[in-house]
Amino acid sequence: MAEKPQFPGHDLGDQFRFWPKHNEKIYERLENKHAWLEEKQAAAQGDGEPPATRKSELDPLENEMILNIGPQHPATHGVLRCVVKLDGETIEKSVLDIGYLHRGIEKLAESKTYQEFMPYTDRMDYLSPYSNNVAWCLAVEKLAGIEVPERAQWIRMIMSELARISSHCLWLGVGMMDAGAVSGFVWTFQEREEIYSIMDEVAGARFTVSHSRIGGVANDLSPRAIEMIRDFIGKFPDRIAGWEGLLNKNRIWIERNKGVGRITKEEALELGVTGPNLRGSGVPYDVRRFEPYLKYDEVDFTIPVREAGDCLARYFLRLDEMKQSVRIIEQCLDRMTEGPIRSDDAKEAYPSKDEVYYSMEGMIHDFMYTDVGTVPPKGAHSYHAIEGPKGELGFYLTSDGTGRPWRVRINAPSFTNLQAMEYMMEGSLVADTVVIIGSIDPVMGEADK
Amino acid sequence: MSKPDDPRASNPQDPEKLRFHFTPSADSDSRRDDRATDNPHAKDTTRVPEVIEALQDEFGAAVLELERYANEDTVYVEKRRIREICRFLRAEEDFDYFADLGGIDRFTEEDRYEVFYNLVSTERQKRIRLKVRVDETDMTVPSVTDVYRAANWNEREAYDMFGFEFVDHPDPRRMYMPEDFEYHPLRKEFPQLGVPGSLPLPPQTPDGELTMDPFAAAHGSKPVKSYDEPSTDPDSE
Repeated sequence: MAEKPQFPGHDLGDQFRFWPKHNEKIYERLENKHAWLEEKQAAAQGDGEPPATRKSELDPLENEMILNIGPQHPATHGVLRCVVKLDGETIEKSVLDIGYLHRGIEKLAESKTYQEFMPYTDRMDYLSPYSNNVAWCLAVEKLAGIEVPERAQWIRMIMSELARISSHCLWLGVGMMDAGAVSGFVWTFQEREEIYSIMDEVAGARFTVSHSRIGGVANDLSPRAIEMIRDFIGKFPDRIAGWEGLLNKNRIWIERNKGVGRITKEEALELGVTGPNLRGSGVPYDVRRFEPYLKYDEVDFTIPVREAGDCLARYFLRLDEMKQSVRIIEQCLDRMTEGPIRSDDAKEAYPSKDEVYYSMEGMIHDFMYTDVGTVPPKGAHSYHAIEGPKGELGFYLTSDGTGRPWRVRINAPSFTNLQAMEYMMEGSLVADTVVIIGSIDPVMGEADK
Repeated sequence: MSKPDDPRASNPQDPEKLRFHFTPSADSDSRRDDRATDNPHAKDTTRVPEVIEALQDEFGAAVLELERYANEDTVYVEKRRIREICRFLRAEEDFDYFADLGGIDRFTEEDRYEVFYNLVSTERQKRIRLKVRVDETDMTVPSVTDVYRAANWNEREAYDMFGFEFVDHPDPRRMYMPEDFEYHPLRKEFPQLGVPGSLPLPPQTPDGELTMDPFAAAHGSKPVKSYDEPSTDPDSE
């Protein structure tokens, strides 16, 4: 075990008993970040002293302070730790520390069959588990060359758009709460609650659904489920209109969001921002259009894009996205065809429960699929991405010709968005970090893998 | 030919292939060709023949190998020229968006590791994958952070998980694991339950010692309890 670090003049007691080097390095990074800029400023001033130090001697309100926000903080939406250096109320530098929820699922995947890994994807972006299931299934299906029946594709589309609505509902509620309106959280959670009920009806689980299967989906939508979905999308536009009525002309909401956390188009591309955050800065990059998967090339919808790049633009954009999701679901329900919901090749998908319980072959196939599962060709590697609620969610899989993946690489949108957030926070007020974190919408389960 | 009646008659050097439904068959070359392009999920965006041509014209022998699977082009390039190649792709071929970077442990004698780069051109609607091979004896990889700023965290993560040394990286810290950790967990030799004692965790009792092994039971010792278990006396019922 490493030794206790020395902080001259400070007796920190037992505070740094574990991982002492880790904290030291973070503070070191905080000091060194943009150090060239400070040196430049100091040189321009004529003396070697950085200007802030002199200021702090004169004015106690302008002194520098290092503040740790998180990892346990309600505003950080999970276990995100922001170490910021403040000059008065302005954030001068920020360093994010993530990994508090690191479970190593990329490592765990290497000893699971492709189907066994499904529940782990539920726990990545836990606000929209269905999207992750679909992303994983599509990635495996691409790797193994499995064709999915048409009805399953429509079901997947409906459910992943519902997951998008559900995720955006939570983002909006929490965003309102971050800006000071607590009641809004309850209203959006009512809608989420209805989506939970739909998920319950469809998959049998409310939260971590694991409903999609490699080669199709677990079971067909029941008439009641379709009725519930129709019911939900019928009244949901009114709910959005209600929220818009509440927020669009709300002075507190506008002033808290406008011009806050601004990121230009060029910066957004450079920092690799993805999803609604990228489109909020004016880049029309959406995987549903860029490389259409499922049936997205057959339905009519628009990709909302905003130019402003601030929190307000991202708010408008996500509301528009929810409306588009409703449109997609309507079309899917109308165009959904009857037919099988899972591939009937025993090497590609599980047999149906009827087969498993009432035929010998079905039982053997079920057993073998659990034991061995899908076997992609040796040396195959492929990348498949979907547009999750947070952005491009991709899996890059490498196969060694067995039923277990050789390497699973998860391209998590929250991870890439957080990297940009580190820069977005610099120069903003410390009170705005709460709003910025809310509008970037990171989920630590995904960012930390 | 083997006779099921007399197992000794079969030649042990040439065992009969089990005609079992799930035995993965060896790929014949013709099927491999099909797989290069035929895939129900194949996309047009991942085919970039003109970019590969431009790369070959510009860098010649630095483009080592081309591979195609499921209609996805992979370009293997020389490790020490990856930064120039990225700069060229960004400046000349409009690959303006950096989507992903990561490592792969192939667990081979030579060129054990791979680093892949997933680049996107939002203008041309194309996606390309570059790969470099890294030998175990020389874990340095030129960092592409001054071409794509977005590579920063991804490179940190690859360093954390595999131990690559990204040359000229502005912030060479670990991404997920604490700095005090000494191993690189996604390497194939790293045990799934972790190395006991490598990662001290907070004490499990208020005045206890640091937890050195969170999976004590799996490693054969008794885990510390944060509470006193009530004595289970069968007679007390």
